[in-house]
Amino acid sequence: MDTYLQFIVLGLGLGAVYIGLTTGLVLVYRATGIINFAQGAMAMWGAYVFAQLRIDGTLVLPIGRITFGAKPVILVAALIGVLMSVLLGIVAHYLVFRPVRHAPVLAQVVVSVALMLTLQALVVIRFGPNSIVVDSLVPAGTVTLFGVEVSSRELIMTAVMIALAALVWAYLRFTRAGVATRAASENERGAMLMGFAPDRLAGVAMVLASAVGTVGVLLGSSLTGLNPANYTLLVVPALAVLLVARMESIGVVVAASLVLGAFQSVVNLLVSKPWWPQWAQSGVDQVIPFVVVMVILFLFGRRLPSRGTLQTVRLPDVHVPRIRPVPALVLVAAAVAVLALTQDTYRFGVTYSIILMLVALSYVIVTGYLGQISLAQTSFAGAAGFTLSKVTTNWDMPFPLAILFCSLVAALLGMIVALPAFRIRGAQLAIVTIAAALAIERFVFNNYALTPPSGNPIANPSLFGLNVGVREGSDLSRMAFSLTVLVVAVLVVLAFVRLASGTTGRMFLAVRANERAAASVGIDVRTAKVIGFGLSAFVAGMAGCLIGYSAGQLSAESFTVFVGLQILAVAYLGGITSFGGAVIAGIIGPLGIIYVVLHEVFDMGDYYALISGIALIATAILNPVGIAGETRRQIAWLRGKLRARPADPPPVPDRKVLSDVS
Amino acid sequence: MPEQLLSAEGLTAGYNGVPAIRDLDLSVGAGEVVSLLGPNGSGKTTTLLALVGLLPAMAGTVTALGEPVPTRRPHLLARRGVRLVPDDRGIYFGLSVREHLRLARRRPDPARTAAVLDRFPALAGLQSRKVGLLSGGEQQMLAIATALLGGPKVLMVDEMSLGLAPKIVQEMLPAIRELARDEGIAVLLVEQHVELALAVSDRAVVLNHGRAVLAGTATYLLAGRDRLESAYFGADEFAATQGA
Amino acid sequence: MSAEQHGLRTSELSVRYGGLVANDRVELRVEPGEIVGLIGPNGAGKTTFVDAVTGFTTAEGEVFLGGQRIDGLPPHQRRRRGLSRTWQAGELFGNLTVAQNIEVAVAHGGFGAIVRDLFGRRRASLGETVTAALRTVGLDGIEDTVTRDLSLGQQKLVGVARALAGNGQVVLLDEPAAGLDSQESLEFAERVRGIARGGPGVLLIDHDMSLVLGVCDRIYVMEFGKVIFTGTPAQARTDSRVIAAYLGVPMESAHA
Repeated sequence: MDTYLQFIVLGLGLGAVYIGLTTGLVLVYRATGIINFAQGAMAMWGAYVFAQLRIDGTLVLPIGRITFGAKPVILVAALIGVLMSVLLGIVAHYLVFRPVRHAPVLAQVVVSVALMLTLQALVVIRFGPNSIVVDSLVPAGTVTLFGVEVSSRELIMTAVMIALAALVWAYLRFTRAGVATRAASENERGAMLMGFAPDRLAGVAMVLASAVGTVGVLLGSSLTGLNPANYTLLVVPALAVLLVARMESIGVVVAASLVLGAFQSVVNLLVSKPWWPQWAQSGVDQVIPFVVVMVILFLFGRRLPSRGTLQTVRLPDVHVPRIRPVPALVLVAAAVAVLALTQDTYRFGVTYSIILMLVALSYVIVTGYLGQISLAQTSFAGAAGFTLSKVTTNWDMPFPLAILFCSLVAALLGMIVALPAFRIRGAQLAIVTIAAALAIERFVFNNYALTPPSGNPIANPSLFGLNVGVREGSDLSRMAFSLTVLVVAVLVVLAFVRLASGTTGRMFLAVRANERAAASVGIDVRTAKVIGFGLSAFVAGMAGCLIGYSAGQLSAESFTVFVGLQILAVAYLGGITSFGGAVIAGIIGPLGIIYVVLHEVFDMGDYYALISGIALIATAILNPVGIAGETRRQIAWLRGKLRARPADPPPVPDRKVLSDVS
Repeated sequence: MPEQLLSAEGLTAGYNGVPAIRDLDLSVGAGEVVSLLGPNGSGKTTTLLALVGLLPAMAGTVTALGEPVPTRRPHLLARRGVRLVPDDRGIYFGLSVREHLRLARRRPDPARTAAVLDRFPALAGLQSRKVGLLSGGEQQMLAIATALLGGPKVLMVDEMSLGLAPKIVQEMLPAIRELARDEGIAVLLVEQHVELALAVSDRAVVLNHGRAVLAGTATYLLAGRDRLESAYFGADEFAATQGA
Repeated sequence: MSAEQHGLRTSELSVRYGGLVANDRVELRVEPGEIVGLIGPNGAGKTTFVDAVTGFTTAEGEVFLGGQRIDGLPPHQRRRRGLSRTWQAGELFGNLTVAQNIEVAVAHGGFGAIVRDLFGRRRASLGETVTAALRTVGLDGIEDTVTRDLSLGQQKLVGVARALAGNGQVVLLDEPAAGLDSQESLEFAERVRGIARGGPGVLLIDHDMSLVLGVCDRIYVMEFGKVIFTGTPAQARTDSRVIAAYLGVPMESAHA
C-alpha cells in the first residue's frame, strides 16, 4: 500500500503539468474556439529557454542568442522562460490564430498542428535533439503522509498549479474581461454588439494560457528532463482532460488532471508486477487517456458544447476527377523516366514519394471528400505494415495477396475509428484520432513484446518467381521494386478516380457539405462515414505495406504520430481536396525526393520540418486551396485570358452566419 | 424635427451578392420610436445587421451619431452608444444576471443600475440566477436592461415579441417608449406584432420583399388597416393566376 | 382503398424542448396531389413540425406515410420511403453540379455502390431522372452548372427538384420562396401547382402570404405550437384568429 501512495504522489507531478496545459487549452478554446494542439510545444519553448539559461547563461532566441556573463538565479531564469513563452503566445495569436478565427475547423486544426511541428523543429535546431536535464525550481525533499514517506516536490508542484488554475478561474469569473470572454465564447456576435472586441479578449487569454502552461512544463521538466518530443505530445492527454472537462470547467480540469496523472503512475507500477501480462506492458498509460476520451464521448458526445463563431470562409472546393488517358500516361511515363534516370538514394526518394502520395491520398479521401479530420492515418498504415511482417514471415503469404489482406486489416481498423465520428466531428474528432494514434503507437508499434527492437522482418516480395524486392547485393534501390510501387500506386489512383467520380464520391461530398441535408436526400450518413474511413485506411494500408517492403522490415519510426502529422501537413500544403494535391504532397513529403535533395545536396535535413511547418501555417492562412488548387486556378485564369473571355470571378465569401463549430 | 441619430439612405444589402433589402431610406431621431414592420423574410433583420455594419452595405450609406458606420466593427459602434439587441437577444445562458449587468458598464454605476432595474422590477430578485433558467420574458427584459445600462444614444431591438405572450410585450413596450422620451434615446423596433408596435411608435416603415412598401406616422398607419393588411398579405396577384 | 392509405398524416405530434412545447399535439394531413399550406407567425413551430415529421428532431406521436407508421425511422429511411423536404437555407451541396445534387438523392451510395463504381458501367438512366426532375420545376439545360453559381431563385428550385427526384410521395417545402422577389415568387407558385398535378402531395410553409393563400387547397395556421385554424384560403383571409396571429390584436381589445 505504501508503494501505491508513493506512486500516486509521483503521478501528481505529471497531473500538475496536465493542469497547466489543460487550463491553457480551456482559456484558448473559450476565447477563440480553437483547440490549440501546439499548447505543449509553446510551453516547452519557455522551459527550454529556462533550462539553457541555467546550463550556460545563454538566452536562446528563435534567431540569434544573448549570452549573459553569469547564469541568472533560478527564479529570474524561470521568469525569463515564462516571458519568452508569453511573447511567443502573443506572436502566435496575431500571426497564426487570429487570421484563422473564422476559417473552417480543418484550417484551425491544421494551423495549430503546423505551429506544433514548427516549434518542435525549431527546438531541435536551436537546442539540439537530445534530452537535457532541467534545474528544479522546487527543492527535493520528503514529507510523511498517512505514515508514509513521500516526495514533497510533487505535492508542492501540485499546489502551485492548483493556485494558478484558481487564478485563471477567478479571472474568468470575476473580472469584466473574463466574464466577457465567457460571454463571447457562447455568443460572439452578442459580445461584439455589447462593445467587446473578441480578438483582444483572445489575445489576453493566449497570454494567460502561455504563462500557465509554461509554469507547468517548467516544473514538470525538472522531473523528467526535456526533449523535443515528450512535452509536445503531452498535449494529447491534456486534450483528453479538456474533453472530460467539457471544454470549460477549470474545476474538473484540476481534478481530472490529477486523477489521470496519479492513475498513469500507478499503472506504470502495476505493469512491472510479475502477474501483469507481458504483451501489455508497453503504452498502457497512453491507452488509458484514449479509452477515457472514448467513454466520455459516448456518454456525453452530443452534449459537448461547441463555440458559436462567425464563420466566413469555407473549405476548398473539390473538382471531381475524370480519367484522362493522355495526361495520365504522360504522368506515368514521367515517373518511369525519373526512376530510370536516378539510382540509389535518389531513386529511393522518388519511390518513397510515390508511396507518400498514397498516404496523402488517404487524407484526400477522408478529409478532402468526406470532410472528417483524422490524425490517425499513419496508424492505419502502420497496422497494415505490422500485419504484413506477421503474414509474410509466419504464413508465407505471397506478395500481391499479402498487401490486399493487410490493407483490409487497416480498413477494418479505420471503420472502428469511424465509430466516434458518428457522434462528434471537427476538432473533437481530431482529438480522438490523435489519441488513438498515440495509443496504437505506444501500445503496438513500440511494444517490444509485439515489435522486437531488432524490428519485424518482412519477406521480400516476388511476383511469378520474379524478385521485386527493394535490395539485392549492392543495389539499394532496385528498379523492379520501384516499378512495382508505381504499378500499385497507379491501380490505387485509378480506383480512387472511379470511386470519387461515382456514387461514392458524390455521397462523400454531400456528407461533407451538410450532414443533415445529406440525410434528407436519403443518404445514410453513418454508413458513408464508415465507408470513407474504411477506404481511406485501406489506401493508407497499401502505403504502409509498401513502406514495409521498402525497408525490408517494419520499424515504428515510419509510423509515428509525428510522421502522420507531417504528412497531413504536406497533404494540406499540396491541396487536401485533389489527387494533384496528393502528388505534390508525395514529392515534398518527409523522406520523399525533395527531402532527399535537401538532405544530400544542401545538408539541411533539420530545416525540412521547420520549413514545411512554416509553409503549412502560411498555406492554411493565405491559400487554403493548397498548391494544386492555386495552380488550377492560375491555369483556369490563363485559359480564360487566352480565350479572351473574362476569367471566373473571385469566389464570394459565404453568407456571414452564426454557425456551430461542431 | 429632432436631431437624426441614425439614418440610412438608399441602403442595399444582402448575402452572397444577392440583395435582401433594396434602396431603403430610414431615419430615427433623438427621443423618437420608429418601428420596422413586415412579414418574415421581408428584410427587417437584414436591415438591422446592415445598420450596425455586420453586413456591409452594397449601396447607399448608413450614418450613426453623425459618422459613417464602419464595416464589421459593431463593438466600436456599441462603445459609442449605438446598441443592437439582436434576434437571439445577445445574452448568454451560462452567465448570471449579475454578470450581465457587470458586462454592460465599464465602471459599475449602482445608481444607474438601480434606475434601470426600476423599469424591470422582475429582474431585481433574480440577480444570481443563470440566464438559461430565466423565462423568455425575463431574458428579453435582461437583454434590454443590459443595453440600457450602458446609456445608449441609439437602441435597436430585433423582434422583442418573439415567443413572448402579448401581455409581457404590452408591459415592456411602454417602458421603452418612456425611456426614449426621458433620455432622448433614438429607438428602432423591429416587430411582427404590428398593433403593439404601432401603439408605442411615432413612425413606422413596412417592408415586403426587401423594399419599403408603406411608411408614415403611427396614427396614419393605424387609421388604415386595409393598407396594412394588403402590405402584409400582398395583392390578389396569385388568385388571378389560379384559374389558369 | 380509403384515403387513409395515402399521403402523409400526423397524429398527436408533439415536440418539447426542455419546458417549452414547440409543437402541441399537431394533427395534419396531406393527400396526394394536394397543396396544403402551413402558416403562422415566426416562432410558431412550423419548421419544428417539418423537422419532427422528417425525423430531424425527437417527437412524440405518430407519423403515417401511405398508411404505414414511419416515426422512429431515421431521416434517410423516411426519405427513401418517399417523404422528402427542402430546407430554409436551400442547403444544396455547393461542391456538386445541379445534376449531381439530384443524382445523389436517387443513388445514395453504400457498400454495394463501391463495387458498381469500381467495375460497373455508369448508369445512363440517372440522366433521365435528373432531366425529368428539373423539368418539373421548369429548369432545363443547367445540369452541369455548379450550384453555387446559380441565382438564389434557381437554387431554391433545384432544392425542390432534388426533393422530388426518385419516389417523392409527399414533399415538405420549408420557406421555398424566402428571398425570392415578387416576380420569382409568382413563377414559383406556378411550379408548385405543376408539382402537385404530377401526383405528390405538397406541404408548403412560407411567410409570403399571397403565395400561400393563392396556391394552396387547404391551410393550417399555427401559433405557439398549436394548430389554431384549418380551412380554405378564402376562409383564412377573413378569419379573425388568423389576422390576429399575424397583425396582433388591437390594443383596446387585448386589454379587454
